[in-house]
Amino acid sequence: MLAGTAPAVPVSDHNRPGWKAWALLAPMVLWLILFVVVPGLILLVYSFCERDEIGGVMFTFTWENYARVFDPVYLRIFGRSVWYAALTTAICAVVGYPVAYYIARVPETLRNKLLLLVMVPFWTSFLIRTFAWITILKQEGLLNSLVKAMGAGIGPFDLLYTPTAVVIGLVYAYLPFMILPIYGSAEKLDNSLIEAAYDLGASPVRAFSSVIVPLTMPGIAAGTLLVFVPAIGMFAITDLMGGAKVPMIGNVIQNQFLLARNWPFGAALGVVFMLMFVVTYVILQRRASRSA
Amino acid sequence: MKSLKQLLLALAVLAGSLGLNAAELNLFGWSEYVPQDVLDGFTKETGIKVNFETYASNEELLSKLVAGGGNYDLIQPSEYAAELMIRRKMLAPLDKAQIPNLKNVAPEFKGLAHDPKDEFTVPYMSGTVGIVVNTDKVKDSIRGYKDVFQAKFKDRLVVLDDNREIVTWALYTAGLPANEINAASLAKVRPIIAQWVKLVKVFDSGSPKTALINGDVDIGIVWSGEAALLWNEDKKFKYVLPAEGAHRFIDIFCIPADAPHKKEAHAFINYILRPDVSKIISRDFPYTNPNVEARKILSPEELANPASYPAGPAKLETFRDIGKAAADIDELMTDIKSAL
Repeated sequence: MLAGTAPAVPVSDHNRPGWKAWALLAPMVLWLILFVVVPGLILLVYSFCERDEIGGVMFTFTWENYARVFDPVYLRIFGRSVWYAALTTAICAVVGYPVAYYIARVPETLRNKLLLLVMVPFWTSFLIRTFAWITILKQEGLLNSLVKAMGAGIGPFDLLYTPTAVVIGLVYAYLPFMILPIYGSAEKLDNSLIEAAYDLGASPVRAFSSVIVPLTMPGIAAGTLLVFVPAIGMFAITDLMGGAKVPMIGNVIQNQFLLARNWPFGAALGVVFMLMFVVTYVILQRRASRSA
Repeated sequence: MKSLKQLLLALAVLAGSLGLNAAELNLFGWSEYVPQDVLDGFTKETGIKVNFETYASNEELLSKLVAGGGNYDLIQPSEYAAELMIRRKMLAPLDKAQIPNLKNVAPEFKGLAHDPKDEFTVPYMSGTVGIVVNTDKVKDSIRGYKDVFQAKFKDRLVVLDDNREIVTWALYTAGLPANEINAASLAKVRPIIAQWVKLVKVFDSGSPKTALINGDVDIGIVWSGEAALLWNEDKKFKYVLPAEGAHRFIDIFCIPADAPHKKEAHAFINYILRPDVSKIISRDFPYTNPNVEARKILSPEELANPASYPAGPAKLETFRDIGKAAADIDELMTDIKSAL
């Protein structure tokens, strides 16, 4: 670019981060490089390697691992994981939305107490809480004893080690991650807008669908991301509550690293998994910016 | 500023001297296998601090060793994993002069196929993989794998979440040798296993007894130690060695070639081979104790436990290292399970 042709508009320094800003960002950038970029690159390199007899990584180039990822067996497992995670997200949204909305609307003192209740489960280890669910759902467990004691003449329910148990476990584990972001959006919701909708003759359903939901959409979107992404890779719940019967993609990847000792194939699965998220995220972002 | 520097220097010296003087042992063992009492007793007697880390399968142990994480001084693989490690020169030879209690090991646990000259390994505990039946719920006679995997027992079974074990049971059922695993033999057992997994309710290696105690299943194919604990809890749980043949496993102690604390590792091996210590291991984890002197001081009830000390003739085999076929087994099982 020739200096003479460009209009002499001075570039404002305010929009560029100065060295002070970089200094503030440095810990974060360092953290990202060390724990996201470097491991990601290692994974990428491994995914093109071969394994030796005892599971060491041999640095000889091969496409084989990626060819195997697209084997129908693994595609089916990918598909099933997406389905379970989607179901979990949907249930979390339906169950979590009213809770979050209610908490956001009550007086402040009560609101903080309710929020505390949502977060109380995090004070106990995730694994211990999962084992607690086993005690509830097992054949001679709390739930079946309760049903029996009520004498309803139904049951005992066969719940533990079924897909239902897996979904119960997933919803339980991730529900707070849906409630908290929706609460964040609902709390900021301007009451006068809802009143305006009523004044203009909207029914409660219409006010909800045309005003409240769009305004809390950022919260729903954030919650969806926070639930869907970890749920799809979860392996502990499928092992403990699902009886390790039907593998999810998280189980398959974990097995490649610990049991099958095939790190290159595990790495290839991981890379494809990450790419899937990146692509989905980019598509969602494009849509969001187009509609905005 | 100066005093701060001095303080830091003093701290560094202190930390250094602690690190040099305090004897340590980095033990990498199975979860639910080494009693805390034994670890505490060892530290109390020798002053050696034990850093205990655990794993849930031989494959996990191997993958962590190969990845080079941790400086382990003492590890606890099963016979086939030890054989592989010996072949790959991953183990240090034992200095038997430092382990006088080796004399307590029963002769039948010496000179076995995985370590023919007993150069690298010392047996810790042994056991079998067999069938445990809740006789309150199951009245049929269960004698082998074929009796377990019947359509009427659908969703009433727990089996080990261990691919090599499951393939081995199928090989026995098909009348094939358990240690010759190749494409042809895997193709033969594939339809058998595909039928079996449909009937199983839980796959669990860590604590398969839980599903049986909880009443979620009535029959299991489990480690004998798990079956022995079930029998201690309730005599309705009967242990059966499968008629077709069963895996006899031997879990051993050995020292990685690059272990930093070999002397401490030898001291620990010698300690657990003492009869009174070995008795504690048997009390907490009632597998078959290979220690002759310890067996002499076990209670009659412990020795009468049919899962710990099974009676009668049975075809028992240890696993051999199968090299790359291990990966084929994993692929086969992933295929079959994901088709469910």
